[in-house]
Amino acid sequence: MTKHIATKTDTWEIGGKTLSSRLLIGSALYPSPANMEDAIKISGAQIVTVALRRQAAGNTDAKGGNDFWDIIKSFGIEVLPNTAGSHSAKEAINTALMAREVFGTNWIKLEVIGDQYNLQPDPFETVKAAEVLIKEGFEVFPYTTDDLVVAKRLADVGCKILMPWGSMIGSGKGLMNPDNLIAIRKQFPDLQLVVDAGIGKPSHATQAMELGYDGVLLNSAIALAQDPVKMADAFRVAVEAGRLGYEAGVMQEREFASPSTPTVGTPFWHQFT
Amino acid sequence: MIEIIVNGTRTTIPNGLNVKEAVSALEYKGKGFALALNGTFVAVATYETTMVRDNDSIEILAPVQGG
Repeated sequence: MTKHIATKTDTWEIGGKTLSSRLLIGSALYPSPANMEDAIKISGAQIVTVALRRQAAGNTDAKGGNDFWDIIKSFGIEVLPNTAGSHSAKEAINTALMAREVFGTNWIKLEVIGDQYNLQPDPFETVKAAEVLIKEGFEVFPYTTDDLVVAKRLADVGCKILMPWGSMIGSGKGLMNPDNLIAIRKQFPDLQLVVDAGIGKPSHATQAMELGYDGVLLNSAIALAQDPVKMADAFRVAVEAGRLGYEAGVMQEREFASPSTPTVGTPFWHQFT
Repeated sequence: MIEIIVNGTRTTIPNGLNVKEAVSALEYKGKGFALALNGTFVAVATYETTMVRDNDSIEILAPVQGG
């Protein structure tokens, strides 16, 4: 008799690295640095996002910056700096160049915001910045909407990774347009696709993975949970479940009911009229 | 003295300083930051050959939490 045992999903490659976790996690909004550390560790994530912000004068080593960076480095996982707060290609490009110097990585999560209310990415500036950064030797992880044509333009300029949003950053609304995400997946079977932003519940992450996405990037859903560490564990399991489900192949939907219990030998058999 | 803007705040530094000297004059210590002059990144390797002039704007950024 064959014994079936649930196994962890296999490895995948992104940005030239081979990883086993498909969960990318943010480092912001946690109740405390210790809580952040515990949550990131239990999530199993092997990529953590970070940012750059203005540094107060005097004693850089003691105030925030390097303390935080030392904690992150101690995790021994990949760091993905972002260009959050950029409103133009120029700002994003210069933030990326600064991040490469500080964090010592050519990975950049490219964010160019086009609207302050819903933090929707500016597709024109994002494509412009992506083209420049790729020529500068960056591995660009572009945060984009679920618009297929924008995804095409990003691929045209050389992006190997696309990160369409599930919904607005920090909204927790989940996948607003699963059909759009499916279209991007079908159009780009060879690119690494990560749903970034809008994930609120573990089931949202599972859904994204079931669509065939390669990974999920989230922050608020874990950091703003009542128990971030437990939620990080929940997302670890959810992402694995979604990937396993995708690999196993989901059954075809049917328009009508179909009994799972055999009909042959049904007792007290009768036909509805 | 010249007047410059550092991270959005006006301040003064001696005239004729390069970026490395300006950073020191502004009391930024350690290595964990990056700098932009008038919106353009300045690599550490070019600090000594890049001069800071009157009304220049400097951004000095360091690692923080991010999503």
